[in-house]
Amino acid sequence: MLSHLVVGQTLYFGDSLFYIISFVLLMWIIKIFAWGPVTKMMQDRADKISNDIDSAEKSRTDAASLVEKRQAALANSRSEAQTIVSDAKTNGQQQREQIVTQAQADVQTMKQNAQKDIEQERQDALSDARNDVADLSIEIASKIIQRELKADDQKALIDSYIEGLGKQHES
Amino acid sequence: MSDDPVSTFQFLGLTFSTANVVSGLVVFLLVVAVVFFTSRKLAMKPTKGQNFLEWLIDFTNGILKGSIPAGDVGKFGLWGFTLFLFLFLSNEIGLFIQVATRSGATIMRSPTSDPIATLTFSLMTMMIAQFAGVWKLGYKAHFANYMKPFVFWLPISIFEEFTNFLTLGLRIFGVIFSGEMLLGVIWDLAVSHGIVTMIIALPIEMAWQGFSAFLGAIQAFVFVTLSSVYISQKLELEE
Repeated sequence: MLSHLVVGQTLYFGDSLFYIISFVLLMWIIKIFAWGPVTKMMQDRADKISNDIDSAEKSRTDAASLVEKRQAALANSRSEAQTIVSDAKTNGQQQREQIVTQAQADVQTMKQNAQKDIEQERQDALSDARNDVADLSIEIASKIIQRELKADDQKALIDSYIEGLGKQHES
Repeated sequence: MSDDPVSTFQFLGLTFSTANVVSGLVVFLLVVAVVFFTSRKLAMKPTKGQNFLEWLIDFTNGILKGSIPAGDVGKFGLWGFTLFLFLFLSNEIGLFIQVATRSGATIMRSPTSDPIATLTFSLMTMMIAQFAGVWKLGYKAHFANYMKPFVFWLPISIFEEFTNFLTLGLRIFGVIFSGEMLLGVIWDLAVSHGIVTMIIALPIEMAWQGFSAFLGAIQAFVFVTLSSVYISQKLELEE
C-alpha cells in the first residue's frame, strides 16, 4: 500500500479532496447540530451558576441587614412602650388627684346646700305648725263658744248672722 | 497485502480509491449519528447523551488548552473536537468491520490505514497552523519566525515543516495500518489448518484487537495533541 507514495504510481488525490470536503462538511454539521447548542448551553450553565452564587450572596447580606433592622425596631418599640406606660401612669395619677379634689369640692357644696335646705324646711315647718295651732285653737275656741251660746243666746246669734248678712250685702 | 488489487474509479478527472471513499463516508455518517443523537433535548441539567457530549467537548478542549494559549482555544475548539472524533472512529472502525470484494480488493477498512487520508489530515493541520500564524501575528512577524534564532536557520525551519507534516501523518497511519495488517495475518493463521489453529488464533486475535483499540484511541489523542502543539508554535513570536 505504501506503493501509493512511489513516484510514477497513481496518487489518489481525489481521496484527499474527498476527505477535506467531508471534514469541512462534518465540522459544519457538528457546529449546527451539536457544537453551537452544547457550548451555548455550557456557557449558559456557567453563567447561571455564577449568577446563583452572586444572588445567594446578595440574599444573605439582605437577610443580615433585615435581622439588624428588626433588632433595632424591636429595641425602639420596647423603649416606646416604656414611655407610653410611664406617661399613662403619670396621667392616671394626675387624673385621680383631680377627680378626688373635684369630688371633695362637690361634697362640700352639696353639704352646704343640704344644710341650707334643712334649715329652710325647719323654718317652714315651724311656721306651718304655728299657723295650724292658731287655726285649731281658734276652731276649738269657736266650737266651745258656739256650744255655750246655743242655749242662751239664740237670738243674739241670729242677730249676728243677720248683721253679717247685712254687712255682706253692704260689701 | 500490498499485492492486493485496489479498486479505484475516476471522477472529474481525479482517481478515487473506493475503499477510502466508502470507509470515509461510513465514518462521516457515524460521527454525524453520534453527535446528532447525543445532542437531542439539551437541558440545563444534562442527561446521559448530553453528559457524554459535554465530557467529550471538555476533553478535546482540554487537549487544546494544553498547548494553545487560553484566549485562542475557543477558535480551535470545533476543529479539535471534529478531528478527534473523526480520527478516533476511523481508527476503531477497521478493527470491527473489514469488507473486501470477491477479487480481494478491500472496500471497507479504517480510513486512517491509508497514508493518503492521514497525510490529508496532517496537511490540514499544517495549513491551519500557517493561517493561524498569519492571522495572529501578521505576515511579517509570521514569516520572520522562520529566521529565528538567526537567519541561517531558515532552511532548517522549512525542512521542519515537511518533517512535521510527514511524521504527523505517517505516525497514525503506521500504527493503524500495522494493527490491521497483523489482524489479517492472525486471520490467515486461523484459517490455515482448520479448527485447531482457529482455537489457537482466537485469544491472540482478541488480545490484539483490544490492544489495537487502545492504540487507536491513543493515536487520535496524539494526533490532536501534536496538531495543537504545531499550531501553538505559530501563534507566538519566537525569541
